[in-house]
Amino acid sequence: MTRPRVRLVGGVCAGFAEHTGLPLPLVRTLTVVLSLCGGAGLLMYCWLWVVTPVAGDSIEPLKSVLTRPSDEAQVERSARNAPITEILLGLALLAAAAALVASRFGVNVPLSFVIPAIVVLGGAGLAWRQFDDLRQQRSSSSSALVVRALGALILVALGILLFFVTGEEPNVWTVFAASIAVLVGVAIVVAPWALRLTRDLADERAARVREADRAEFAAHLHDSVLQTLALIQQKADPASEASRLARAQERELRDWLFAGSPGASVDLADELRRIAAVIEQEYAARIDVVAAGQSPSAVPDALLGAAREAMLNAARHAGGTVSVYLESSPTTVELTITDRGPGFALADVPSDRMGVRESILGRMRRIGGSADLSPGPGGAGTEVRLSLPLTDGGSHDDS
Amino acid sequence: MTTVDPHATDLTVVIVDDHSIFRSGLRADLAHGIRVLGEAATVDDAVELVVSAQPEVVLLDVHLPGGAGGGGAEVIRRAAQAAPNTRFLALSVSDAADDVVTVIRAGARGYITKSASGSDVSDAARRVRDGDAVFSPRLAGFVLDAFGAVSGETAEASDELDRLSAREQEVMRLIARGYSYKEVAASLFISVKTVETHVSSVLRKLQLSSRHELTAWALARKLL
Repeated sequence: MTRPRVRLVGGVCAGFAEHTGLPLPLVRTLTVVLSLCGGAGLLMYCWLWVVTPVAGDSIEPLKSVLTRPSDEAQVERSARNAPITEILLGLALLAAAAALVASRFGVNVPLSFVIPAIVVLGGAGLAWRQFDDLRQQRSSSSSALVVRALGALILVALGILLFFVTGEEPNVWTVFAASIAVLVGVAIVVAPWALRLTRDLADERAARVREADRAEFAAHLHDSVLQTLALIQQKADPASEASRLARAQERELRDWLFAGSPGASVDLADELRRIAAVIEQEYAARIDVVAAGQSPSAVPDALLGAAREAMLNAARHAGGTVSVYLESSPTTVELTITDRGPGFALADVPSDRMGVRESILGRMRRIGGSADLSPGPGGAGTEVRLSLPLTDGGSHDDS
Repeated sequence: MTTVDPHATDLTVVIVDDHSIFRSGLRADLAHGIRVLGEAATVDDAVELVVSAQPEVVLLDVHLPGGAGGGGAEVIRRAAQAAPNTRFLALSVSDAADDVVTVIRAGARGYITKSASGSDVSDAARRVRDGDAVFSPRLAGFVLDAFGAVSGETAEASDELDRLSAREQEVMRLIARGYSYKEVAASLFISVKTVETHVSSVLRKLQLSSRHELTAWALARKLL
């Protein structure tokens, strides 16, 4: 039996009706009638309210199985799921109802004893239920916890006081015993909280230790492995396999060590670095990407395509060190790809490079930018300059 | 940066790095004529060595153990007084701009990556000894960024510390594109000496400027 999420008061009648197959109005009427019989219906309602789970709660165990490794605690938990607290509460409320009904019929029930006992039982039940929840790590909202804890606290205190005050005429010892009892009751109720607090503290400490471990680990890698990789690159011929491997490894390690906030947007500079990494894997070249300014996150694919083509050309025909410089101002993106290769003269450009040039120049022209090929510094090598105005902020995401 | 250097003899250096493999590797790779006076692995050893050996140039790792935890920058601050003729060249594998900017603001005359070849390091060391500054392409890119050159800020007066002059921007842009000083000079039709003057002037601004971007952006961005 479960209580539906859409409900009038507690959803008890609806749940009961659905469970037994009785019509809902009948159940509701019965409840009201019973409530008039000395509040028995009301108590029954309260009991069911407390005991019956809300529909959909069964998803939670599944979720916790999926998110946490199932272990012994899991098994133990399901075994422990026997509703001891619910039974306790139910017995208390049933006893109360019975007492009320009995007193209605003229039986002399020692109410001064029964009511406090019920109240104490109820309070203890609530407290234990809270304790149970904590052990099961069931996520419940903090406000519900507060309400429950406060309720338990008040019930226990009230019950114990009632027990002593309404009993025999009070003397020093009963008052003393009452105070002790209240303190013990409060302690029992507060215990789960204290437990939770210490556990949270321990968790937090563990997390901090883990974070410190990671930082130390990163520092160690930074100081040892990165240095070694740098040394390999320094020693090896820049075009050699060893150098390329070291560079690729260094890049991967850096990405891992200095991984920024996850979900950070990928901007043009990141895209260029990624392209450079892919090209470096295939060709004996070292591509240095330098970016200045806030590089835009959304640029036309054609610009990236042209840039890739230029970088690929430089790596394929020139090799060695290829410098890529990206400068992004709010109005323009400028990209320079410089290599130190044999260079080219327009007159004797091989026919196969003609198409490549077209794909750079043509691409840039189509998206309203410009491309320019010229000899590199000192007349050696090639320098490709791509320029794209960012108009109307259309492709420029100023984040 | 493979210029044939006329002063190829007797440059004295000290190598400060906490990795013995790196120290010995660099030592073996340095050009002839560069004499290594000693090696140090910690901040305290480095300060002691620099003060006692008085080298012309210290090749200084940015990250160093010991001392007050200030790394290379701490070495510069503590040794500069007692070794007035010593210049510092920072070497780093670091990714963080703030590391590099910190060590330069402490007084280093330049910055070069550890993956640079022995001849590049030798060349840079000589440049630093001659009082010039050494900028890597990435540092040049960062400088353009941090001084607002990318968004079009240009210094009006030559003594302005917080912005770069138009010429300095041109020089920095070419360095960022991977040009050597000689190539920069050829491209701008100026002498190498003039390029060096501009770079030194940028270095001075980098060391003295109070632009908040220098520190704030350095923290947020990667340099290397």
